[in-house]
Amino acid sequence: MPRFHFDIHEGSRLIADEDGQNLANLGVARKEAMLTGASIAREAFLVGSTDHVVVDVREDEHATCLKISITLEVEELADG
Amino acid sequence: MPSDAIRAALVERLRISSAIADKDVREIEALPISVRQFPAETAVVRDGERATNCCLIADGFCARSKTIASGKRQILSLHIPGEIPDLMSLFLHVMDHDLSTLTPATLGFIKHDDLQKLHRRNPDLAEMFWRDTLIDAAMFREWIVNVGQRPAPARLAHVMIELRERLRLIGRVDGDSFEMPLTQEQVGETLGITSVHVNRVIKQVRQDGIVEFNRGRVTVLDERKFQELADFDVRYLHQSPTL
Repeated sequence: MPRFHFDIHEGSRLIADEDGQNLANLGVARKEAMLTGASIAREAFLVGSTDHVVVDVREDEHATCLKISITLEVEELADG
Repeated sequence: MPSDAIRAALVERLRISSAIADKDVREIEALPISVRQFPAETAVVRDGERATNCCLIADGFCARSKTIASGKRQILSLHIPGEIPDLMSLFLHVMDHDLSTLTPATLGFIKHDDLQKLHRRNPDLAEMFWRDTLIDAAMFREWIVNVGQRPAPARLAHVMIELRERLRLIGRVDGDSFEMPLTQEQVGETLGITSVHVNRVIKQVRQDGIVEFNRGRVTVLDERKFQELADFDVRYLHQSPTL
C-alpha cells in the first residue's frame, strides 16, 4: 500500500505530516484529505483563526499530487 | 496471573465507587473466572453474537465500537482493568456492538449463569452491578455531547481526563502522566475525526503547552489549561457511593 502524507496549511501556518499513513490508493487519500480539510476548516472558521485551509497530499517524498482547498466567503449585505 | 490479581482492579474500583462490603468482596473472589490472553486489536465478542459470558478486564485496554456499512468504525467507549464492559449482555442477549481489545489483554470470563445465581443470592451485589451499567450509560451521554458539540482539541482533552479519572481509581496514574495506549487512528475513531486531524490536534495542544501525547502516554503540561480546554465535570462518573 502506498504511503500518503497530508500537509495542512491553515492560512500561513504549515503543519507538515512527517508520519503519513498507508492507504489503498489515491482515491482513498482524496477522501481522507477532504474529510480532514473540512473538519479542520469548520473549527478554524468558527474560531476565526483563518479563512483558508489547504491540504496537500503527497506520496512519500514525491511532490504534491493532490491539493484540496477550502475557502470561507462571507458577504454582509446592507439591505439583507 | 493469580486469581486474586484477576479480580484486584474490580474490587478496588467497587470499594471506592460503591463502598463494597467485605462479605461481598469474598463473593466476588469466589466467582469462577476463566482467564484468556488476547492479542491487540482482536474481537472479544462481536456485534450480532449471542454472549454466554461477561468479560472482566484484568489487564490491558479494550474498546466498544460499531462499524457502519462503509467500514468506518466509531469507538463508543474505552475500557480499563477492573471493568466488565459487556455486563449488559447478561440481560441483552445478542450483542448490538463489538467489544475488542486495543492492546494485548488478559481477560477473565464469568459465566452468565454464575452471575445470575450471584445476583439472586446477593441483592447488594446485584444493585452494585446495576449501578455499574447505569454509570456506563452516563458515560455514553457524555460521549454523545463530546463528539456532537465540542471542538476537536476539547474532545481529545475530555476523553483524556475521563480516562485519567478512571485509571486513578485503580491506582494507575503516575503523577502528571498516565497510559492511553491508542494509535492515532484509534484516537480518530474515538473522536470522530480523521487521523490526520488527530495529528494536527495533538501538535496544537503540545504547542499550546497543555498536554503531550506520545507513544501511548499522556503527560499533562498545564493542569489548569487542560481542565479548561476539556470543560470536564467529573460528576457523571459517579465515583463515590454518595454521587
